[in-house]
Amino acid sequence: MQLLVEKLSKNYRGGVPALRTVQLSLKPGILGLLGPNGAGKSTLMRILSTITRPSSGRVLWNEIDIARNPDALRGVLGYLPQDFGVYPHLSAVEFLDYLAAVKGIPAAAARQRISELLVLVNLADVAKRPLGGYSGGMRQRVGIAQALLNDPQLLIVDEPTAGLDPEERVRFRNLLSELSGERIVILSTHIVSDVEAVATDIAILAQGQLLAHGAPEVLLSRVTGKIWEVVVPSAELPSLRQKHLISSTAHRSDGVHARVVSDTQPSAEARQLEPSLEDAYLAALASQRSVVTGIAA
Amino acid sequence: MSPIRSIAAIAHADFLERTRRYSFLLALLFAVFLGYATATGKVFLNFDEYRGVYTSGWIGTLVAMVITCFLTLAGFYIVKNSIERDRSTGVGQILAATPLSKTAYAFGKFFSNFAVLSCMVGVLAVAALIMKLWSSEDPRINLWALLSPFLLLALPAVALTSVCALCFEVLPLLRGGLGNVAWFFVWSFGLSAPLLSGRRWLDPVGIMTVADSLGAEATHYVPNYHGGMSFQINIGQRLHVVQDWHWAGIPWGMHSVLLRLMWFAISLVIVPLAALVFDRFDSATSARRRSRAENAISATAQQVSTARNLPHPTSHIRLTPLASTAHASAFGRIYLAELRLALQGLRWWWYAVAAGLLIGQFAAPLKASRGPLLAVAWLWPVMIWSAMGSRESRFGTRALLFSCARILPRQLLACFLAGVTVAALVGAGAAFRLLLAHSSSGLFAWLAGALFLPAAALALGIVSGTGKPFEALLTIAWYVGPMNHVPGFDFTGAANGGQTIPYTLVYLVLSTALLVAALLFRSRQLRSA
Ligand SMILES: Nc1ncnc2c1ncn2[C@@H]1O[C@H](COP(=O)(O)OP(=O)(O)OP(=O)(O)O)[C@@H](O)[C@H]1O
Ligand SMILES: [Mg+2]
Repeated sequence: MQLLVEKLSKNYRGGVPALRTVQLSLKPGILGLLGPNGAGKSTLMRILSTITRPSSGRVLWNEIDIARNPDALRGVLGYLPQDFGVYPHLSAVEFLDYLAAVKGIPAAAARQRISELLVLVNLADVAKRPLGGYSGGMRQRVGIAQALLNDPQLLIVDEPTAGLDPEERVRFRNLLSELSGERIVILSTHIVSDVEAVATDIAILAQGQLLAHGAPEVLLSRVTGKIWEVVVPSAELPSLRQKHLISSTAHRSDGVHARVVSDTQPSAEARQLEPSLEDAYLAALASQRSVVTGIAA
Repeated sequence: MSPIRSIAAIAHADFLERTRRYSFLLALLFAVFLGYATATGKVFLNFDEYRGVYTSGWIGTLVAMVITCFLTLAGFYIVKNSIERDRSTGVGQILAATPLSKTAYAFGKFFSNFAVLSCMVGVLAVAALIMKLWSSEDPRINLWALLSPFLLLALPAVALTSVCALCFEVLPLLRGGLGNVAWFFVWSFGLSAPLLSGRRWLDPVGIMTVADSLGAEATHYVPNYHGGMSFQINIGQRLHVVQDWHWAGIPWGMHSVLLRLMWFAISLVIVPLAALVFDRFDSATSARRRSRAENAISATAQQVSTARNLPHPTSHIRLTPLASTAHASAFGRIYLAELRLALQGLRWWWYAVAAGLLIGQFAAPLKASRGPLLAVAWLWPVMIWSAMGSRESRFGTRALLFSCARILPRQLLACFLAGVTVAALVGAGAAFRLLLAHSSSGLFAWLAGALFLPAAALALGIVSGTGKPFEALLTIAWYVGPMNHVPGFDFTGAANGGQTIPYTLVYLVLSTALLVAALLFRSRQLRSA
């Protein structure tokens, strides 16, 4: 089982490059896709889900070009779009049964799987109510259930935890790690802690370019020794921000504790810290930004 | 996997979703009302001043013809929303990522369209049976004669309507308001096709089948019969029943049955062709040519992505404090904003045609200027008007908009005035000519028309949440009134002759009532939102 993304580019009409020669190779496991708004995450996922066609480049699923033969992938694909809706007058069971039929799952097997999935996403109590009366998070869970209907080998979920309460988020993370195994999962999110918990692989996308791809340890090792804690009075925080990239701050009695990302020790009192994934992500974005502004300047 | 199961599932889910909507109930009620109106003699099939005895065949054929005419026109608008719904809800994206083939999808949607319309046919068939039991003119009941017109006249016509709705939805050009306007003309062509073309088989609704059999008998029973058959709505005229004319119903033969079944076959052949053009919900490739609006979207995207290149934001954020807001110009601003919204996304050719019509109105003789030219000029902006009132629910901006302070009367009025402005601008030439001719009544009628069209659009848009009812009704009224000079229906006022002032007053009262209805309905929506 292998997903190969070769020199993938996408230009929307009007010439906005949403993806620029992205190169990826995926094996079973969970890929966390990180990137700022508009980075091209959803575009990449829509192409991998065979909905949008790339402008150039190829995607190979087990050596088959999915643009040429999309059905080879679609049969084993689960996809949760970033924005999606439901038929408001159908119940969760009816809606899932409908999608099961569309995905080609035999009726009896579908019924079984739907009731299991509804328990899994904690919707069994409301399964017979029309979807129009569901809350945003409940609808999102119907979307998650839908993506798992056909026991997909490639599961693509675009911001699956958006709108979920903390408890449901934890439940989803657990679900995802239990499900992985012999399948490829691609998960996009803005919540670094979600990825940190489950991802076996991380890719960072910004402005359509792949900034980094590798195991979390590899990304962390890039910033090891570059994360510092600096304590300053709150009045000095703005000037510190101008000089350094700050990944987080916390107000304490002795001043503001700032997490600084810096190649060199920012000040004599600065204490070195264990890097987190969040630091690695921000550092990757910052380095790209400085390259771009350097070119622009 | 079997495509049959996916097709059935799509048709089933789509059918459930539709029939559970309030609007389906309304349409069904209207169909029942039609059946009732026919049963109580409000509609009839007559030959000069005569009709035959209400035999099973007569009643079945009459009701089937009424429902066929209704469903091929109104039914089209009722079912032309199934792909649109998948697009707007986003369910389409989920479907696009499944192995479902475009052909299976198209067949599913076709069968759902067909099922919805067949339901209404079924209701009317039951109504016809009840009517037959009720009527005492002819005690014998012949079920085949009564029901066969529903099976063989109505259902094939409805199948063709279903596939047409599907085609209109997959073709980007016909997907929107243009298609809604165009359907009326396609429909009226379809009704008259056998006569216009002289080809008797080219008869989607089966009028010739009925006319052949009944016409032949009419020459026997109807005194001084010259040919011709009509459907009429009873407005007080009396019909003579020819007591010994017991029509046995349509004499179905091999040839006539095959001719009707042919329309099923044609429909089924068109479905996969429609699937060929279907874009499978890929929004990035749906339209080949770029419109101004899309360019604007891309341009913003470009700006947004370059904006991200800015260095890290500092914490020195300063926003200019707002001075105490001046309310004096507030309405003017909303009005301009609504006008801009109304005109957004129009392409150059829209303006070119509007300008051509305007110049025509200035240059042509008064009669042509305020007549056909004004009529066309007031049909041209139909899409601008039909978007009014329904825009908020179509684009999901209701929550954004209606959470603003004191929005209701102001935004509605601004939207209405924007619509009036459009009417006044595209019809300015005719007004100028009327002014030159010192025709104060004509000018009065013009003004009433310019107020009436946006008022109707706004009210229908708010009530229905879509632009379709206004698009369909304006087209029909346009055809009946300005084009065929039926007084009263002519909203330009040109056909009303000596009755101009009373008709104009009616239009003004109607416009006011529509605006009040719009206001009431919207405020109810706000309260229940
Ligand atoms: N249909 C479209 N037409 C034109 N441009 C588009 C379209 N969809 C996306 N874009 C552009 O492509 C770029 C990438 O968009 P995409 O939706 O893939 O970003 P994303 O990483 O998913 O962002 P977010 O985190 O906000 O969901 C953006 O610059 C966006 O403006
Ligand atoms: Mg996205």
